[in-house]
Amino acid sequence: MIDPRVTGAIRYAQDVALPHMLYARILRSPYPHARVLRVDASAVPRSIVVLTPADVNNLGRYGCQIRDQTVLALDRVRFIGDPVAAVAAPTLREADEALNLIAVDYVELPAVFDPITAAADGAPLVHEQHCISDNDAAYFGMRPVAGTNICHHFRIRHGDIAAGFAEAAIVVEETYRTAGAQHVAMEPHATVARWVEDRLEIWTGTQTPFNLRMDLAKIFGIPEEKIRIICPPMGGAFGAKTFVRLEAIAACLARKAGRPVKVVLNRNEEWLTINRHPAILRIAIGARADGTLVAKRVECWADTGAYADCGPGVAQKMGYAAVGPYRIPHVWVDSHCVYTNLPPNGAFRGYGAMQAVWASERTMDLLADRLGMDPLELRLKNVLVDGDRFCTGEVMHDVHFAQCLQTVADKIGWAEGRRGKGLCVLLKGMQTPSRAALAITAADDGTSGDRTYIVHCATAEMGQGARRTIQLMAAELLGVDPCRIRFPDPDTDLVPYDTRTTSSRSTYMMGRALAAAVRDLKANGRRGYGECVNYGGLDPDTGQGVASTHWHQGAAAAEVHVDEETGKLTVVRLHAATYAGRVVNRPGAELQNEGSMIMGLGTALFESIVFADGQVTNANLSDYNVPAADDLPELTHSLIEREGAEPHGLGETALPPVPAAIGNALASLGVHVTELPMTPEVILAAIDRREAHAAATTPAGR
Amino acid sequence: MSGNVVEWLAPASLAEALQLRAERGNEATVVAGGTFVAILINQGFLAPAALLSLHNVPELAFITANNELWIGAMTTHREVERSAIVQQGWPALARTFALVASPRVRNQATVGGVLADADYASDPPAMLCALGARAVARSRSGEREIPVEELITGYYQTSLHPDELLIAVRVPGGIERAVYRKFRSRSTEDRPCVAVAAARAQGRLRVVVGAVAERPQYFPEICALAEGVSLDRDLAAEIAQRYAAAINPISDVRGSAEYRRRVIAVEVRRALEELAL
Repeated sequence: MIDPRVTGAIRYAQDVALPHMLYARILRSPYPHARVLRVDASAVPRSIVVLTPADVNNLGRYGCQIRDQTVLALDRVRFIGDPVAAVAAPTLREADEALNLIAVDYVELPAVFDPITAAADGAPLVHEQHCISDNDAAYFGMRPVAGTNICHHFRIRHGDIAAGFAEAAIVVEETYRTAGAQHVAMEPHATVARWVEDRLEIWTGTQTPFNLRMDLAKIFGIPEEKIRIICPPMGGAFGAKTFVRLEAIAACLARKAGRPVKVVLNRNEEWLTINRHPAILRIAIGARADGTLVAKRVECWADTGAYADCGPGVAQKMGYAAVGPYRIPHVWVDSHCVYTNLPPNGAFRGYGAMQAVWASERTMDLLADRLGMDPLELRLKNVLVDGDRFCTGEVMHDVHFAQCLQTVADKIGWAEGRRGKGLCVLLKGMQTPSRAALAITAADDGTSGDRTYIVHCATAEMGQGARRTIQLMAAELLGVDPCRIRFPDPDTDLVPYDTRTTSSRSTYMMGRALAAAVRDLKANGRRGYGECVNYGGLDPDTGQGVASTHWHQGAAAAEVHVDEETGKLTVVRLHAATYAGRVVNRPGAELQNEGSMIMGLGTALFESIVFADGQVTNANLSDYNVPAADDLPELTHSLIEREGAEPHGLGETALPPVPAAIGNALASLGVHVTELPMTPEVILAAIDRREAHAAATTPAGR
Repeated sequence: MSGNVVEWLAPASLAEALQLRAERGNEATVVAGGTFVAILINQGFLAPAALLSLHNVPELAFITANNELWIGAMTTHREVERSAIVQQGWPALARTFALVASPRVRNQATVGGVLADADYASDPPAMLCALGARAVARSRSGEREIPVEELITGYYQTSLHPDELLIAVRVPGGIERAVYRKFRSRSTEDRPCVAVAAARAQGRLRVVVGAVAERPQYFPEICALAEGVSLDRDLAAEIAQRYAAAINPISDVRGSAEYRRRVIAVEVRRALEELAL
C-alpha cells in the first residue's frame, strides 16, 4: 500500500469536516500586559457566534502544571496574542470580518520581557498567585516562589558544593543564552469540536489526548468520560501539540453555537501559541589538575512566557541535563521557570536539553582548554559508566556515553587533528513516572481467512513513524506480515490510558505494553491487554530520586570553516551517535536522527524569534528561517546497537548536541561564542574579541 | 490564508490590462506571480479592493535578444535562470535569478514583479541595475523607459504611474564581465544580508549594493575611480571602503547596520577582485 501521505489520502485534523460546521477566528491582545476594561461585540451580526470573557468567566482554570490559564483572557491580557474573544461563522471571511467589529478597551500595565529582570524583586507580576495543578500526568512537586514571577524553582543538592570547589585546582565559569524558537510543524494547530447532547467530541492534532481530556473536564466541570478526544495523524508536532491549545475555545464556541466548530491557526498565530523557552544558564565547574571533575554549579532561567504550560518540567529537565552525563561528587542546581509577558513557551523537541547541553558542553571545552587537555580525553575520563551514580543519586544502567563519544570522534577524524572540530555528549531523560497501555484484538478476515490484529493505543502519529514502529513490533511478536496489523486513530473512548506521546517514550514504553498485550492475547485467544509503568520522580527540594528510568544517550561532532572577515560559518561535516538499543524500524530510526540533526542545525545557525517590546517581529517563514535542503552539511549518524537490548526511543536525542558540537568546533579556532544562534554577526564579534585579546597579550615590538 | 474575497480582474490581453489599469489605478493591486502580494495580504499589510492579475496576458512572457536582452514582465525567475539566451549572453544575470529563494518560488515569481515590488531585500534589482537595465513602462497613452536605479525610489516605492504597467526589461549587451555575490547570514534560501552586483561594460564600472538600504545603492562617482586604470587589489579595497562609508545600512533580522557596513567593505572588495580576474 502506498503511504497515504504520498497519495494525499491522509486525513489530518484540519481536514475534518462535519455537517453545519462553523469556522472560528480568535481576537488577540495587541498589548503585552494590560487590563481589559470592556469587550464589546454588539456590532457583530447576530448570525455570528461570539465568545467573550463573559461567556467563559464561570469556567474552570487550566494548565498542566500550574493552573494559570482561562479559556479567554478575563480581565487581563498577558502577552501580545493572548486570546480575548473568538467568533464562529459559516465562512472564514465572515469570521475575519466579525473580528474587526469587536471593540476592546485596554489599560496598559508595565511588562517584563527578560527572565532575569522578571525574576528580580519588584518586577511587575505576570500572575499574582501560582495555583498548582493536580493534573496527575504532568504534575510533579512544584515549587513556585510566592510574590515573584518564578513559577517553579527546581533544586539539586548533591554532596557538599563548597567543599567540592575547594578541592578544585581549576574552576571555569561562563554564562550562556539561547534564543526562542518556533516548532514550525507544516500542519498548523487544528481542532474541530462538537457537542452531542452533554458530551463533548473533539478531533484535534494532539500528542496528549488523555492530559487534554483531564484539563477539559476541569474547565467544563464534567466527568472525563463525557469527553471524547480523537487524534488524527499530525503533519508534525515537535512538542507544540500538547495539553490544551485551541480545544477549549473551539468547545465553548461549539456549545454556544449548537453546531460543530473548526479552528485552524494561521501560520503567524503559531508564534503566538507555543514556542521554545529562551534560556540563560550560568555554569561553574571545578576540576583537579588531572581533569577529574569535583564540583559543578548550574543556574538556569527558563523564560516560560505568560503562561507556565509545561515550563516547570522543562526547567527541571534543563537543570539536571546541564549537569551532564558525568561523575561529579558535588553538584548544586538552581533552575527557575520564570513568567514574562511573551507568548507561552512549552515542550519543544529536546525539552530543555538543548539549552542545557549548549551551556554544559561549551563549558567542558573551556575547562579542557584551561587544563591543556584533549576535550575528548577530559570527557572520557569523567563520563558516567554502568553502576555510577548520577547527581540525582540514581544508579545508571545500560550506559553508552563513552561509546557514543568515541564513535563521533572517530567519524570526524578527531585523531587526525582537532582544528575546526568539536564534539559533545548528552543525556536526556524520559518521562518518569509514566504509564502506557495497549489492547490488541484479533479479527478474522471473512474472505481470505487471514487474521487481522487491531491495535488500540493512544500513541500519536505526528510524522515520527510511531504507528509504523508499533506495527512492525506487533508483526514480529505475532509472526505475521505488518499489513495484518491495523492501527486506527487513537480515540479516548476506545483506547486505554497512556501518559502521552512525548519525551521519545513510545517505542520503549508502548513497545513493552505491546509485548505484554501480545503475551496476553496468545494466552487468551482473541484479546490481549498489556501495560508498562515506570515509577520514579525526584524530591522537589533536593533533586534526589529517579529522574528517568531509561536514559536517552548521544553525542555529536562537527567540523566547521569560518570566513574570518564576515563571521560566516560553514558546517562542513556533522555526525551524531545515539544509543538505539535494538532498532525495530531502521528507516524510521535513521530519519529521526537526521531530522533531529537538521532541526539542531537551525537552532545552531539561525533560528531565533525576534521580539520588539513583546511583539514577535518575524512570525512568518520569510523572516523566520528554518533549514533548507541546501543548508545541510555532510550529515551522517550512527545508531549504537547492543545485542539483546530493548528498543530505545530516538525522537529527540540527536538534536540537543548539534549546537554545542558546532560551538566547540568554533572554539577550536579560538572563537568563543556563548549565545545561540551563532549568526555571522555573533561570530564576527567573537573573532574581534579573540583579536583584541591577542593584541593585548602580544609583547610590544613583536 | 486570509478568508477575504477580493475582486479578481484577469485580462486576457495587454490592451485589456492597460485599459483596466487606467480605469482602476492604484485601487487594484497588480499581481504577477503573487509571491510578494500573497505574503503582504496574509500578513495583513495589504487589503486590496481588487487584484489585477497579469497571469493570462500572453504577450508579457518572453525572452529575446539580439545585441540587447529583452525579458517580458511575466517571465518567471526560473525561465530566466534556465534560458540559453541569458546563460550565454548574460551569465551573471542567469546566476543571480538562480540564487533567489527556492525552485518553488522561482517557478512562480516574475521579473516584472520583482522590480515593481521594489522590495529592498530582493536579488535581481541590484544585478539589473549594475547591468544598466531599463524597465519598460506602458500606459494607454504611451511607453517610456526607466533606468532601474530610477524605477525603485524607496521601500516598496517605484516611479511607475498609477496607469502604467511594467511590461518588460531591457538589458544592454556588450557586458565584458559581471559578478553577483549574495551574502546570506542565515539559510541559503534566505534573502541576502548584503548583495553586491558589479559589471564592466565599455570600460566603465558599475557597482551596486543590494538589500542594505531602501533601494539598490549605486555611486557612479566612486565607480569612476576605476575609469582608465586597471582594477587592482588596492583599488578594489578603496572602492569597497568608500561604498561602506557612503551607504547608510538598515538593521533587520539579517544583520545590524554596523555589521552590514563591515560586510559591504568585504563583499564589494571581493566582487571587484572577482571582476578583475
